[in-house]
Amino acid sequence: MLLPDRWKHGLTFLLVLVLAGGFVSGSLFAATPVIEIEIRDHLFYPPEVVVPAGTKVKLLVKNLDPTPEEFESYELNREKVISGNSQAVIFIGPLPPGEYPFFGEFYPKTAQGKVLVK
Amino acid sequence: MLLTSVILILQETLEAAMLISILAVISRQQQRKVTWLPAGLLLGGILALLYAANMRSISEWFDYVGQEVVNASLQVSIALALVLLTWLVCATGAPGSSGQSRPGPRRDGRFAFVAALTISLAITREGSEIAVYLGGFMQQPDKLQAVLTGSAIGAGIGISFGFLVYYGLLALRGQRGAWLPLLLLGLFCGNMLSQAALQLTQADLLPAGPFLWDSSGWLPENSVLGRLLYALVGYESRPSALEVCAYLLGVSAVLVSATLARVRR
Repeated sequence: MLLPDRWKHGLTFLLVLVLAGGFVSGSLFAATPVIEIEIRDHLFYPPEVVVPAGTKVKLLVKNLDPTPEEFESYELNREKVISGNSQAVIFIGPLPPGEYPFFGEFYPKTAQGKVLVK
Repeated sequence: MLLTSVILILQETLEAAMLISILAVISRQQQRKVTWLPAGLLLGGILALLYAANMRSISEWFDYVGQEVVNASLQVSIALALVLLTWLVCATGAPGSSGQSRPGPRRDGRFAFVAALTISLAITREGSEIAVYLGGFMQQPDKLQAVLTGSAIGAGIGISFGFLVYYGLLALRGQRGAWLPLLLLGLFCGNMLSQAALQLTQADLLPAGPFLWDSSGWLPENSVLGRLLYALVGYESRPSALEVCAYLLGVSAVLVSATLARVRR
């Protein structure tokens, strides 16, 4: 190749940078952690889930009751209807550490839970 | 169960009641007929039932975020319709001013058409939640009576609130009477766009950002005032920068539409 050495070094450096960047971002975006929550008899199982701070998390909420429920949280700014015997996906975060309560809006007396961000 | 259903139905009714009242005030101020109301209610009711009946399969669309996509589409459509309505209103005469000419029949028809469509879309989303909620109790006859009673009370309070807004706005005279309904329409438009941004963030179709501010300490969203402000102007105690931008975009769109329509007139 008819390139000056300085250019070659520059290009090699760029290539390494791109590869490293691709690797880092690949590992960052590769897997959004999935956390499963079940609704049974208008209760959340588990009632508390722990998620890492500053990370986007996918909540997979399975409603095993025949009745519909609405997942709602003022602290998380989330709201979603979940039909009976079906499941829903809700993305939350990245969040700063803290406690984020959620509840079932259709049966709020029993359906209570919280996300603990640590 | 009774109190839960009062609160739930009230929350779902407030927003639509608010929108209907503002549009009704604007219609009255311009001596337009309110024929769009029964048409919009009917269409909205039908669409809400269809949405609720298909909630399960719609939720599974797009890898389980179909509900968010449909809701955001409804909200963006409402926002666009409000910008168009503002144009139609301001192009035909200053609302509230006396001695204005009655809008022509063709323009009247266009306003009525868009207004009916707008409230039907608002009712579709809120109404579908009510329909899903009540549908869940059809198999539980022991609880049904309490739930229906609570729902009727909740809807009653919501509708009364709508009348309060309606008569309150109608009582205003002069410039204030002309501008306040338009401003509220702008805030409603901003509210719709920011809710759409939130829905798409929840579906991971828009990036999530940090909270721009946190006012949950002195005005929590689950307080009575917080919920009322949520329905009125889309109050959010921990909004993201994206939601705030969407909100401002909606408000400006209505205000720009009003100004341009007046300049052209």
